[in-house]
Amino acid sequence: MSDSYVIIGDGIAGASAAETLREEAPDAEITVLTDEGESLYNRILIKEYAKGKLPEAPISIHQESWYDDHDVDLRLNTVVVDIDVENDAVHTHEGETFEYDSLLLAVGGTPQQLPVGNADAEGIHHFWTFQDARNIKESVEDAERAVIVGAGLLGIDFAAICGAQDVEAKYLMRGDNWWRYALSEEGAEIMHEAMRERGVEPVFDSGVDRFEVDDDGHVEAAVDPNGERYECDFAGVAIGLNFNTELVEDTPIETEDGIVVDEFMRTNVDNVYAAGDITTFNDLILGERAKNGSWGSAKEQGTIAARNMLDYGSDEFEWVSSYSITHFDFPFLSFGHPTLGDDSVEATTAEGEWRRVALKDGKVVGGVLIGDLSPQSAFKQLMREGRDVTGQEDLLMEPGFSVDDLAAATEQQ
Amino acid sequence: MSLRETNRSMRLRRTGLIPSDTRVRHYDELDEEAQATVRELAGRPQTAPEADDLDDGDVVKFTDYYEVRAR
Repeated sequence: MSDSYVIIGDGIAGASAAETLREEAPDAEITVLTDEGESLYNRILIKEYAKGKLPEAPISIHQESWYDDHDVDLRLNTVVVDIDVENDAVHTHEGETFEYDSLLLAVGGTPQQLPVGNADAEGIHHFWTFQDARNIKESVEDAERAVIVGAGLLGIDFAAICGAQDVEAKYLMRGDNWWRYALSEEGAEIMHEAMRERGVEPVFDSGVDRFEVDDDGHVEAAVDPNGERYECDFAGVAIGLNFNTELVEDTPIETEDGIVVDEFMRTNVDNVYAAGDITTFNDLILGERAKNGSWGSAKEQGTIAARNMLDYGSDEFEWVSSYSITHFDFPFLSFGHPTLGDDSVEATTAEGEWRRVALKDGKVVGGVLIGDLSPQSAFKQLMREGRDVTGQEDLLMEPGFSVDDLAAATEQQ
Repeated sequence: MSLRETNRSMRLRRTGLIPSDTRVRHYDELDEEAQATVRELAGRPQTAPEADDLDDGDVVKFTDYYEVRAR
């Protein structure tokens, strides 16, 4: 009798696990359960669809025929309501039971709603799924004015969507610059100017105290904590994710801001694994538990999880993630953990080019590049090698920086 | 190393038209070698060895949309 594998979630983490399992275990029974109504699509391109720049078809990655061709049992619109780790089974909302030898949880997260009045009004959007993108595109096309909330990597997608669709927007931020945990004012100002050029006005030391709605329950304004009122036909909220851990609340599976896994993507239950946004993983490079929501990280975690489901201990997750913003005529890239560390160096390296590198105990743990991404590979290499750059931090700010520029004394510690 | 062992070279041509049957890749999906090639070629009239992670006819989303031409 062949081994059976159940995967909950058909995002890139779950799908890459299914692909790996099929490649490496041709006889395995593989079932993929997803609460979404469509199979794997490209989550990092749905913002381009919402901007009106891409048709729907290229967003799809796996047609449903892919699952038939690879003998994977795909169940769409299927909500898992219970995991029984004692009996190796999951139960769905329709009363079906799927037994497993090994289970992968790739259940991701759900966008957080603002804890303010009328936060669920019509016209207020969150952005996570392809269906969200369709709803946003339709709503933005009818809008003239918008409000955006959430000064981070997801919020700026709303700014780009409004800019691309010629919607005047106010981008309400709690602090005095965009993504203030990773950028100084100098670096953020490059992003602010790009927003302004597209008709999106950053509003600092603001936020939302409440939304106001019309008689039909549609949003018509946001009021910030200072009492300023911003009229809008559309609001985009991107303040973070709630990780979907409620599914394991009644199980012994350990959680800590997600599902805790080791470097092999295994939970504290021997035959249960997790991958993707949902994981709090043992980051071998950082030397502590970490989270990461990037596409590349999720794909790699799915692959690593699958290999260890087949042969525990066979492959470790060791990855330097990166995430780019390509909405403007200059590139932006964050890598590693730019909001962590105990020190940092930053510099403007040319007009419109800025970089910041976060350091912990003298080692690079992350950073941000604006305009010039050429040192991306060098900084990632420093992270992978754990190089101590103490005393040579300024070299990291040199245009054309190469790992070879560092003295030999900084070789791998 | 993911550069192909062929003599083909590639360049990127800016494009505004994305047919429905095109494979579109975002910069973040590419491996590090292909990312380096995209950074090198985007917006510049030059060629580089063909990257393994990109095929002729692919469209890459970077600071613009670029069609991959491999010859």
